[in-house]
Amino acid sequence: MVDLIKRAKELLESSAVKVVIGYEQGTGNKTRALFVEKTEDADKLIFDSRCIQNLAAYVTKKEVKEKGKMAIAATLPVMRSIIQLASEFQVNDNNLLVLGITPESNLIEFANLVEVETFVHQYQIEIDARNKEMLDKLAKMTSAERWKFWVDELAPCFKCYACRAACPMCYCSRCTVDFNQPQWIPVPSTELGNLEWHIMRAMHLTGRCIDCDACYNACPLSIPINLLTKRMLVDAKEHFGNYQPSLKGDNLMSTYKPDDKENFIQ
Amino acid sequence: MSKIGVFVCHCGENISATVDCAKVAETAGTYDGVAFSVDYKYMCSDPGQNIIKNAIKEKGLTGVVVASCSPRMHEPTFRKACAEAGLNPFMCEMANLREHCSWVHEKNEATTEKAIDLVRILVEKVKYNHSLNEIKVPVTKTALVIGGGIAGIQASLDIANTGHKVILIERDPSIGGHMSQLSETFPTLDCSQCILTPRMVEVAQHPNITLYTYAELESLEGFIGNFKAKIRRKSKSIDEKLCTGCGQCTTKCPVKKIPSEFNEGLGKRTAIYVPFPQAVPNKPVIDRGNCTYYIKGKCKVCEIVCPTGAIRFDQEDQIMEVEVGAIVVATGFTVKQPDFFPEYGYGKYADVITGLQFERLASASGPTLGEIRRPSDGKIPEKIVFLACAGSRDPAKGIPYCSKICCMYIAKHAMLYQHKVHGGKSYVFYMDIRAGGKQYEEFVRRAIEDDGVNYIRGRVSKIYEKNGKLIVSGADTLLNAMPVEIEADMVVLATAGVANEGAEELAQKMHISYDPYKFFAEAHPKLKPVETNTAGIFLAGACQAPRDIPESVAMASGAAVKVAGLFSQDELTREPIIAVVNRQAPPVYSSCVGCFLCVSACPYQAIEKEEIKNRNGEVIKLVAKVNPGLCQGCGTCVAFCRTKSIDIQGYTHEQMYTEVMALLNEY
Ligand SMILES: Cc1cc2nc3c(=O)[nH]c(=O)nc-3n(C[C@H](O)[C@H](O)[C@H](O)COP(=O)(O)OP(=O)(O)OC[C@H]3O[C@@H](n4cnc5c(N)ncnc54)[C@H](O)[C@@H]3O)c2cc1C
Ligand code: SF4
Ligand code: SF4
Ligand code: SF4
Ligand code: SF4
Repeated sequence: MVDLIKRAKELLESSAVKVVIGYEQGTGNKTRALFVEKTEDADKLIFDSRCIQNLAAYVTKKEVKEKGKMAIAATLPVMRSIIQLASEFQVNDNNLLVLGITPESNLIEFANLVEVETFVHQYQIEIDARNKEMLDKLAKMTSAERWKFWVDELAPCFKCYACRAACPMCYCSRCTVDFNQPQWIPVPSTELGNLEWHIMRAMHLTGRCIDCDACYNACPLSIPINLLTKRMLVDAKEHFGNYQPSLKGDNLMSTYKPDDKENFIQ
Repeated sequence: MSKIGVFVCHCGENISATVDCAKVAETAGTYDGVAFSVDYKYMCSDPGQNIIKNAIKEKGLTGVVVASCSPRMHEPTFRKACAEAGLNPFMCEMANLREHCSWVHEKNEATTEKAIDLVRILVEKVKYNHSLNEIKVPVTKTALVIGGGIAGIQASLDIANTGHKVILIERDPSIGGHMSQLSETFPTLDCSQCILTPRMVEVAQHPNITLYTYAELESLEGFIGNFKAKIRRKSKSIDEKLCTGCGQCTTKCPVKKIPSEFNEGLGKRTAIYVPFPQAVPNKPVIDRGNCTYYIKGKCKVCEIVCPTGAIRFDQEDQIMEVEVGAIVVATGFTVKQPDFFPEYGYGKYADVITGLQFERLASASGPTLGEIRRPSDGKIPEKIVFLACAGSRDPAKGIPYCSKICCMYIAKHAMLYQHKVHGGKSYVFYMDIRAGGKQYEEFVRRAIEDDGVNYIRGRVSKIYEKNGKLIVSGADTLLNAMPVEIEADMVVLATAGVANEGAEELAQKMHISYDPYKFFAEAHPKLKPVETNTAGIFLAGACQAPRDIPESVAMASGAAVKVAGLFSQDELTREPIIAVVNRQAPPVYSSCVGCFLCVSACPYQAIEKEEIKNRNGEVIKLVAKVNPGLCQGCGTCVAFCRTKSIDIQGYTHEQMYTEVMALLNEY
């Protein structure tokens, strides 16, 4: 990404931003996040199909924010996350500049978040065929079968919270699982406790999760926890309308709209 | 260490019939922290309350659990008893053994076990209770009255005369409502306009009343004593300050064929119009949907003829925000139109009219100057038929209720007809004559006996036209359902009184409830007829159910007293059961991350953003803050907050968790 490197250098040189967040070559065939503060480091920036980590998870981190204005190399899911974060007052035009990477891998720079929003809204969030098939399969199960499926799938989770760390929406300084007065969700990894943790997580992400799969990709045990958030995406759409992250702040779950279908209570 | 007192009530036999109260008290006495435990026949009685008070004083209790009826019933009683004994009233909890246990279960072991569980939950909870203080909120001593019919007029005047300010908003260009359309009124046959107009003028001139006509409620926020209402003042397209009401514009306006709403379509009006000569205010509005200028872009005749230059084509709707402490809803009702009745020709016969249209025909200020002439050809009808219960009391039509006013106004109509058309014949088809009310029965008897109106008990199945006559065919149920056919010149339908269009939407804006027919719901059918379930919002007149004038006025005065009572206090006391967003020591300040999803989730707009600043006045954090005056303690925000930064006082996470764990026998 020659354009990206060039633009990063310009931005840093002119002090328009203090840090550029992007990807670099990691160990093995993996890529990892790179925080460019010095012009010469910009040459390490790369972009290719392996760059699927959701970098938006970093823009709410104190350590990164403290550096000053940030620029971020943002793919479509990252841009969606940023709009959702902006609607939750976590980022704004004063502290973030978006260097968009289109699905065709072209670089576009946005003057402000409104432009990012307009761009993002050209695309619907679509669940891919493989996951859709899984959701259908789960929906067809009896509730006992489904319960067993999830107990089994979640049993190995040892609460490393890598999924939480990878998710841009999990920026809370105190997550419900860390709340200990009272300890609603038990700390040790137990059968029921694991269910509680993941149900809670899915609930908190409903109407906010932009379906980037970063949580699933981060999980060292490849537990398909993204199926939970995907299911919520489908359900929320059915009951409250289509989800698109939006700067209007009309959060899908917290905002009452007269045309909410709410057919589940009728 | 907690010292908790448990007081188990028998409620006569209401609880003790199925629950072993002595066992409940005995078991509770064994719990950690319980210092005193007793059962008694009536805890709410004076001796019962004294047991509580004495125990608090003698044992030095730090918390009280009363195991009795629903807190809705006696929470205030027991809290007060605790307070009198020197214990903070919010250290008192109630276990609902009656509604939640004894009334719904058989007498057996398990029922007593459940009662014990209910007590244990609260014993554990009360250990985490904290002393709370009641919240005082100021009262804005201005009332908003919505709807300027007779009910709204009366309520406004009554409130204004107690010395408080009133803002009256009316949707139409003039106040007056349906009463201004009526000819004469039962049971005294005095002229409606003559008794109404002085009141309308009084409203306009009263120093305490601000009148906004052509105005509607846009939105409502807040709560009793402290409402914020947005009012949409629809553009009248004139500058009311300049307009003198000379009427040049209305005489010259070239669009003259618009059916007049005031005359129920029997007369015509212009596009710039005053609905009727006695309108208050007596200033015109432009009906933009019919004005040539707004449709075609040219005309402006009114602007040319207006001597004071008061016409404003570019005037826009204005949204005004007002603060009020109480609201009286008096938006009235409406009547079904003939097109609702397939059996009576779907409104296609010009001479089948509604009762309200008849009022206009009989009115001296109406389109026929008070002569009863039929709409089709202006002939005076020699035979006229009145149909009661057109739509009303007809479950098949979705209106099972009685519209209440029709029996009376039909008798009035028939009487007026007989007085005006000598030698005319009038018939009334009725199901029952409902004339309950002072002088009402006498009034109907007069119509029958003195004025010779023919009352036929029975329903009309069909009306059709034949040789220029309306054939009314029905059955006389007093004569064994003998078929009756009357060749009439005109038919008047007493069409059902129904809720206004938009009533549902208005109710939702104000968060008040309504019945299945969209009439606004009173808080109690007998004991709270003018209150709604939303504190500070009252009802008057036909918006609650079809009502006649005396009832509407009585309700309005009732509602006005409620408002005046509220305004007699400077402050209202509210329970401290409200949400609080935590505050912590720097550098954290609060676990709130400022996502403000709680702001949109709160149904009472009670959550604000608070800037936390450092010593230099720089904003270092933006966090949520609950306005204690607005919060209703519903708990929506608590469920929403992912960081668990919000607690409801008296129902904290800690307390709820403890209750659940106590139930799971973890204690
Ligand atoms: C044919 C007929 C004959 C009658 N004859 C008699 C009689 O002889 N004697 C008798 O006692 N009663 C009679 N009545 C009953 C009488 O009309 C009512 O009792 C009376 O009009 C009720 O007054 P109200 O103020 O409650 O409602 P309304 O008169 O309906 O007034 C309501 C007012 O509120 C306004 N409004 C509505 N919605 C809004 C809104 N959203 N915002 C702002 N303003 C709004 C309306 O424009 C209207 O001005 C008769 C009724 C009918 C239909
Ligand atoms: S897919 Fe996973 S990581 Fe991505 S937003 Fe949703 S929950 Fe967060
Ligand atoms: S990343 Fe996987 S193992 Fe770790 S907490 Fe999440 S689901 Fe559990
Ligand atoms: S929901 Fe919770 S974290 Fe978000 S603003 Fe409200 S109190 Fe703060
Ligand atoms: S409890 Fe929370 S959501 Fe409910 S009224 Fe109070 S602040 Fe609003």
